[in-house]
Amino acid sequence: MTRTTRLTGIASAIAVAALGIGLATRSGAEDPGHTLPAPAHGGVVVGLCDGQTALELPDLREGATLSHERAQQVSDQLMAEWRAKNPHAAWDEAETVAKADEAAAKTGGSDSASAGAKKAAEAEKAKSTGGGVQVQTYGAFSERDEAIWKAATDDFVHEGDRIFHDAKALGGTIGVSCDMCHPNAANTHPETYPKYQVQFGRVALLRDMINWCIGNPVRGKPLHDDDPKLKALEAYILAQRKGVALDYGKH
Amino acid sequence: MRLRVLGSGVALSLVVGVLAAAGIERAKPPANLPPGVSSVLYQLAVPADAVPTQDKVALGDKLFNDKRLSVDDSVSCATCHDPARGFVDHKPQSEGIGSHRGKRNAPTVLNAMFNATQFWDGRAPTLEAQAKLPILNPIEMGQRAPEDVVKKVQGIPEYVQTFRQVFGRDVNYDDLAAAIAAFERTQYAGDSPFDHYLAGDDKAIGDDAKRGWAIFNGKGRCNNCHAFSIVSPIFSDQKFHNIGIAAHKTDFIQLAAKGVAMVRSGDLEQIDHLALETDLSELGRFLVTKNLSDVGTFKTPTLRNIMVTGPYMHDGSLATLWDVMDHYNKGGVPNPYLDGGMQRIGLSEAEIDDTVAFLATLTSPPFKDFAAQELAAQRGRKDTRPERDTDVALGKKGNLGDLAPDPDLKNPADIGALPPIPPAPGA
Amino acid sequence: MGIKSIETKHYEERADFFERLRHLSRRDFFKLAGLSAGVAMAKSVVWPHAFQLVDVADAAQGPAPKFTFAYISDTHLYEQTLNDRFVRAIMKAVDDVNALDPQPDFVLFGGDLAQLGQQKELELGRDILKTVKAPIHMMVGEHDWFLDMGQVWRDYFGAPQYSFDHKGTHFVVLMSVNEKDFWTSRGMTPMQRMQTVAGLDNGTQSRFEVGEDGRAWLKADLAKVPHTTPLVIFSHSPLYKYYRNWNFWTEDADEVQAILRPYPSVTVIHGHTHQLLTNHINNIDFHGMLSTAWPWPYAPEGLPHVTVQMNRADPFDQFDGCGDGSVNLLQSGLVDKLYTLWDRNPVTVRASYVRSGGKVDRPIGTKLASY
Repeated sequence: MTRTTRLTGIASAIAVAALGIGLATRSGAEDPGHTLPAPAHGGVVVGLCDGQTALELPDLREGATLSHERAQQVSDQLMAEWRAKNPHAAWDEAETVAKADEAAAKTGGSDSASAGAKKAAEAEKAKSTGGGVQVQTYGAFSERDEAIWKAATDDFVHEGDRIFHDAKALGGTIGVSCDMCHPNAANTHPETYPKYQVQFGRVALLRDMINWCIGNPVRGKPLHDDDPKLKALEAYILAQRKGVALDYGKH
Repeated sequence: MRLRVLGSGVALSLVVGVLAAAGIERAKPPANLPPGVSSVLYQLAVPADAVPTQDKVALGDKLFNDKRLSVDDSVSCATCHDPARGFVDHKPQSEGIGSHRGKRNAPTVLNAMFNATQFWDGRAPTLEAQAKLPILNPIEMGQRAPEDVVKKVQGIPEYVQTFRQVFGRDVNYDDLAAAIAAFERTQYAGDSPFDHYLAGDDKAIGDDAKRGWAIFNGKGRCNNCHAFSIVSPIFSDQKFHNIGIAAHKTDFIQLAAKGVAMVRSGDLEQIDHLALETDLSELGRFLVTKNLSDVGTFKTPTLRNIMVTGPYMHDGSLATLWDVMDHYNKGGVPNPYLDGGMQRIGLSEAEIDDTVAFLATLTSPPFKDFAAQELAAQRGRKDTRPERDTDVALGKKGNLGDLAPDPDLKNPADIGALPPIPPAPGA
Repeated sequence: MGIKSIETKHYEERADFFERLRHLSRRDFFKLAGLSAGVAMAKSVVWPHAFQLVDVADAAQGPAPKFTFAYISDTHLYEQTLNDRFVRAIMKAVDDVNALDPQPDFVLFGGDLAQLGQQKELELGRDILKTVKAPIHMMVGEHDWFLDMGQVWRDYFGAPQYSFDHKGTHFVVLMSVNEKDFWTSRGMTPMQRMQTVAGLDNGTQSRFEVGEDGRAWLKADLAKVPHTTPLVIFSHSPLYKYYRNWNFWTEDADEVQAILRPYPSVTVIHGHTHQLLTNHINNIDFHGMLSTAWPWPYAPEGLPHVTVQMNRADPFDQFDGCGDGSVNLLQSGLVDKLYTLWDRNPVTVRASYVRSGGKVDRPIGTKLASY
């Protein structure tokens, strides 16, 4: 089964991100990025996230920034080019996406749905995606994709689970681990952050409180913001409260 | 650099909204509050009918400094709360008429308007209620009854006239207290080097103070009680804690038993009397609430202008900020009611120095020179450290393990990181 | 430096205390623990901070008890070199019960003396409990048991299951933390088994149970006890079904309750849950004990409706949400249960409150929601 996602959202997020970094588009060391062609005219090359579509701004020098209007033009230009190259991509308008989601929900997902309902959903989707043409690139993902994504996510969460239950992994010096006071991450309330945290006398994020607990009851060294352990702990705690409505600012 | 007012417009309007919904009318904050004074907190702390007006403030100022309010013309509010010297008297315990000495240290009037309750034990809910008590206390200003005070003030022609002008009626005790409170509501503590540092002037405080700010928020655990935020920048949670000061001098266990027995038998005297004249003073907040959890607890004081408001603690028993740091560093003095948050901290000498350097940056401009003198004087006493017990503080004695390893800090100021302070509208 | 500060004296006394503990034998322990009125040891120890008050507000109310016993529970000791905080906490509790005036008739230790059942941990706990002035009755918890299946425990404290009579009440100490073998098939080492049981939120371990043998023993023990006799059952696990995922649960609770059914006045005092916890089922009142080490959160479901919750503890305060307590045995045979919450006001849960299904004498609860 193939589904369509909201390309609109993704593409504009990319555009904004690109603008946000002042169009310094060489990829960073950490994330796998796209290789862009070298500028032919001494300007700056801006690329789209498909890794192929790119254009050069010959008048722009590395490190300089664009006006908001100009940046929007660049973004629009790139998207227009991509659309031209991908005339059959599932370029859903918000409304049709909502319909497709609704239909998918009605069928109850791919496994449990009856064959009839499944067919109906696919027919509905075919309509909204432009006549049943197989979509491609980012607009499509399969069950296999989903399985990979889920396993990768679970893996991350499990690592957090492990650290949460292991005083040594937390860097604790007195044998105290998170689960001793927070079984199943109970009473951690990640959905209430940011909030005023009395231990700091100011507003804090979940990771601030994790670090406070590592320093205080656990008696370990607070982790740096970019420490994988901190990220994993955050992942585990958030995963334990999946489905709980966000209610930030709540005590 | 330009002055910025803490507290964003958004937060301010939220507070107004919440209060309005609760049917509470609050004051509109003055337009030009100094940096480090929160307009949000102003709204929360000042009732609409208590906004200081110029004439009330002038009258209050005069009354505050007038010894004639006392029974023998010897003591004014300013005697113990000297405006020129940080609004305190620099004595361990304050002295009233006839050199009677009370049990407690005079707290500063600066920022007192932002306290949730007044006095070390919070027995007065407002500045007005607070102002009335020392005048009537036999060992402070010694008047016997409000009527006596009113009669005496009534006999001073200039006051008769001014009270008529300001309040439109004859002198009465409530108006007298309201005038003093109005004066006190103009005494801000702010505009300190630290406030300028937070507003973006990186050079406003030294590197030692920046490290001290990190210790304050991290290893030192100071911020838990001396809470500081943009909305409430007073360095106090306004709660009551037993940090073991009372257990220094008295047989605290016996004292607590005595106090509890008194409560049980219903044999209660005036809190004011107990607090100022008897050993039971050391029971602190318990005298007010009768809660066991309040035995020996006192209100977390503000830290602003701390350099010029020594000696320290509710009984003035610690002479210098180094002594105060020593007290906390070893986890306070053991007693059955010691706050469980009191744990040894394990600061090194250098870290103590840095923390004191930070505290010294909380001084308001009028006291700049005085604070420099005080800091020098305190530093001069650095070798006399009666509270220092390094072995206990570092866990080498008493086998009190249980201290986290020092954190790795990339940037010391990060640990005390606050959201950026928005410029005041029109600044 | 001729003059010693009060705190220096305190720490010296403490060091001296531990030094002397090392020289006490097992016989001394039992001598102190109730076989005689031997309080010589306790007397020689000066406690600089030994002091605890009863509930001021409550003092005037409530029926006079027939007698009182105190409890200390769930101390979860590691070796002192690893974790001094839990050691400080149990000593604070010992100070509390030693300072009770009048002294309780006896002190119940509610289980989980050790964190990982290691000999050094149990030894440390045993030595500290030697200084309890009143006679002491020991109960085992799963943290004491699953490293060596109770070997050291039996050696130090005797059988985990026993009964005694005191002033007309029959007391039963029940071994209720048995688990079905989950470790052999998984090839676990004793320490892995112990660590699994020590955690709450793993699906690996079995549920607690008194077990067939235990139930048979209980039946036999009660055979000679008339139905008019008030019963007090000490059990580490709650003896009812509160929340399965965290083993706040006794698998054969229904069967055990059935055995107790003929007695109109039964009280179960249990450990393990580290919180203010009250329940009433048929003829039985249930009261949880506080831990000295740390409080557990309330489970997401299954909380008995008569429970008046304590609100969330502040981790800044090493003792918040922890404590000890005492139990007043009333003329009726039922009990008033006092939770001595450190750094908070004490809370009394009265028999009249529990037996009225929460209608009268409701303890003062927190204004804050527990969620």
